Amino acid sequence: MRSRPLMSLRLSTAHTQDIGAGPRGSRVTFPITGGSFEGERLRGKVLPSGDDWTLKRPDGVVELDLRITLETDDGALIHMTFEGVRDDGPPGGSYFRTVSRFETANAKYSFLNRLLAVGSGQIRADGPLHVIEEIL
Amino acid sequence: MDSRFLMSLQIIVAGAQKIGAVPHGTRVTAPIASGHFEGPRLQGKVLPGGADWTLLRGDGVLELDLRVTLETDDGALIHMTSFGLRHGPPGVIGALARGESVDPSTYYFRTTPRFETGHPKYTFLNRLVAVSRGDRRPEGPIYTIDEIL
Repeated sequence: MRSRPLMSLRLSTAHTQDIGAGPRGSRVTFPITGGSFEGERLRGKVLPSGDDWTLKRPDGVVELDLRITLETDDGALIHMTFEGVRDDGPPGGSYFRTVSRFETANAKYSFLNRLLAVGSGQIRADGPLHVIEEIL
Repeated sequence: MDSRFLMSLQIIVAGAQKIGAVPHGTRVTAPIASGHFEGPRLQGKVLPGGADWTLLRGDGVLELDLRVTLETDDGALIHMTSFGLRHGPPGVIGALARGESVDPSTYYFRTTPRFETGHPKYTFLNRLVAVSRGDRRPEGPIYTIDEIL
């Protein structure tokens, strides 16, 4: 697979909402209070009020389901979603990967409507960081 | 980003169901008749009964939404879903629509497969994210699927 850097996405989250054990696993929702993104082709901030709806499955894998709005530094709004998995199980390192999609009406950024992207995530002291690459 | 080959998946589609113009675009559903897959860690056949639900958006991008069941040669059933995008220059997309063979490097056809299985030998599939490159042949697509490492 060939890919190229799209952006680094930093998220800040509020207190989690621990929904608890549901029929499909343990649900925890992370409200997104803000953040920033930076890449060669786009940069800006994450608007508050998105969330990452996570589900910890009985096999230990956490499924992620994120919806946020990005605002570029020149004022374009971008609807972003990703799905992914986080698996802290394997010895030698956690597996934390996502698949992102974007929607925007701004012509400058319409290339985002036409691509799929993969991300590598990590949890840092100041919140999650996702390094996202366009699938070429 | 690092990846490694997971499998090549060839899907044979049956007659398309042209649903037509719907609120989000033009919808065509392609039932899956058969197929097969092959990679170093799994191989087998595609069971009939799945479909690829496609939507041609107003901006000319085709969204694909595939659901199929794979059966490995040692009898495991694997539920596979795959969302994808396909687009390209009008001449290339027109040739695809006419059923011609087209060099897949001339258009963008990428998908993101996900897997679910209950078979212990293949549970690694439950825990990974994958991407694929598609090659739309007249009889159906061939996907080269890589695991994201």
